[in-house]
Amino acid sequence: MALRLSRQGDRALSIKLDTISKNFGGFTALGNINLEIEPGEFLALLGPSGSGKTTLLRIIAGLEFPDTGRVYYDGDDITDLKVADRGVGFVFQHYALFRHMTVADNVAFGLTVRKRRDRPAKSVIQARVQELLDLVQLGHLGKRYPAQLSGGQRQRVALARALAVEPRLLLLDEPFGALDARVRKDLRRWLRELHDSVGLTSIFVTHDQDEALELADRVVVMDHGVIEQIDTPQKIYDEPASAFVFDFVGESNQVAVTIAGGEARLFDRTLPLPAGTTLPGDGPARLFFRPHDAEIVADDKAGLAATVTLTRPNSGSIRVEGKLDGLDRLVEIDVPVEGAPQVGERIIVRPTRVKLYAGRAEA
Amino acid sequence: MRNGATSESRLARATIMTLGLGFLGLFLVMPLLVVFAQALASGIGAYADAVLEPDALAAMKLTLTVAAISVPLNIAFGVAAAWAITKFDFPGKSILITFIDLPFSVSPVVSGLIYVLLFGAQGWLGPWLAEHDVQIIFAVPGIVLATVFVTFPFVARELIPLMAEQGRDDEEAALSLGASGWQAFWHATLPNIRWGLLYGVLLCNARAMGEFGAVSVVSGHIRGETNTMPLHVEILYNEYNFVAAFAVASLLALLALVTLVLKSFLEWRYDYHGKGTGH
Repeated sequence: MALRLSRQGDRALSIKLDTISKNFGGFTALGNINLEIEPGEFLALLGPSGSGKTTLLRIIAGLEFPDTGRVYYDGDDITDLKVADRGVGFVFQHYALFRHMTVADNVAFGLTVRKRRDRPAKSVIQARVQELLDLVQLGHLGKRYPAQLSGGQRQRVALARALAVEPRLLLLDEPFGALDARVRKDLRRWLRELHDSVGLTSIFVTHDQDEALELADRVVVMDHGVIEQIDTPQKIYDEPASAFVFDFVGESNQVAVTIAGGEARLFDRTLPLPAGTTLPGDGPARLFFRPHDAEIVADDKAGLAATVTLTRPNSGSIRVEGKLDGLDRLVEIDVPVEGAPQVGERIIVRPTRVKLYAGRAEA
Repeated sequence: MRNGATSESRLARATIMTLGLGFLGLFLVMPLLVVFAQALASGIGAYADAVLEPDALAAMKLTLTVAAISVPLNIAFGVAAAWAITKFDFPGKSILITFIDLPFSVSPVVSGLIYVLLFGAQGWLGPWLAEHDVQIIFAVPGIVLATVFVTFPFVARELIPLMAEQGRDDEEAALSLGASGWQAFWHATLPNIRWGLLYGVLLCNARAMGEFGAVSVVSGHIRGETNTMPLHVEILYNEYNFVAAFAVASLLALLALVTLVLKSFLEWRYDYHGKGTGH
């Protein structure tokens, strides 16, 4: 895909958030957020609804103001600067296109509202709009109205409109949330290419872990207004910093155990753990493992006993669902097609890679 | 033949329709016809005389003047109030919403009396006004004030639900693109609310021209000076000048009919614009 926009790499913005807090009438949306974002970085804010991710994005944009804490762009304190003066591109979840304006007028908006002395000539604006529409592959639809476009097309118009003002920072609120799965996947890849070629700093909010892991350089996992982990997608997936992150990112199995004397115990029995597993301190703990980090073994002392309740194909392997003995919990593992168990069969599940976190499961 | 769960027998349907249409005919259509019949009872010449008589013309002029002042005032107020209420969070918001409804819940007589108490000769500000030779009560300013008060919910009431439903995204998008607050209003908000706004203005105008109670209290009924059309109709009627009374009344009835037609048109546009935009 040819992207013709000139690189602005050296213009990309660095951002620093210093102890940002925000309350909405007694509800703590954000509590003491510290975050530094590198110039040119593609960052994902990932979390469930109510985790504060959108509020954080809006504070970075200047659409919302923090109760305490400061926001820095390239080291400058811009906390009190209004959104109109920050020079950011913001893409809204529901596009927020001006429906009474043509696509071209929408894209031109950021240029046409400038004061006369800063406003480019009409012909310059026209050329710029055409360039941007070509960039988002909608060069032929400039005369249409937003209502005449599909969701994916509208989202691209919104992007072109945000890029028209040559922002040094692109902020996207659930950019693919309202699109169907196929369009979403295409747009994702396209957005990543766009980010790389334009060379600005981008931050997007999502509740979709796949989206965050696939697109971002770094992922910020949030829950209840605090940051749980900031890391590369690989590290987020392989080394979740908390039980919440393990549970929220990727598929997982969870078993409540007790740590005592350097061992994990379940029903007064020692649970053999893979070599190299780090144990938390004595007390209740939560053991997590991914479906693909487990195998079926014969030795009934080597793992967790379960009864198979369901099997189904899962991209090249068989997903086995079983009910754990003595626990009101299901376990899900992926096993090779060869020798996969039948429904009703008793199996022993041995996790090959686990993470343990101190504490009890919530509710 | 049965059409489904909600279909009724033919008899029931006929009864309900007769009731509905009968009611409509008796209380709406017939009075309207009577107005025009009475107005033209002595022929078109008498009708023209009544309508073109100087006091009638003065009343018309006053009514138009009052509407021309109070409607723009209430457009400004209504848009500002709806904007503030739906786009910002601030303390006292619910109180403001309640106060906007006040003119609807209070009797028009009371609305008029408020101004007499405030600006009348014996009112709070009366002595001061008299000293500075400003006449509000029994003069045009009082009529305008009372009309503004009575009609002030119309525009705001129409816009608040509309703007609440549309959210803040469009304005925020405009602002994030560098627009000033005024540009955001002009380019993002106003186009989204224009049909709703026109609808509110139409109702506001109809009421401004038709208001009787509150205006009656503050007007003083000075012929040719402080009589609006509704007041003029009443005076003529009280003088048993039925033809003239109904002739002027027929103009007000015509205004109502025009309002209804425009209202239907706006509702149609409104619906048409509300749908199919992906919102």
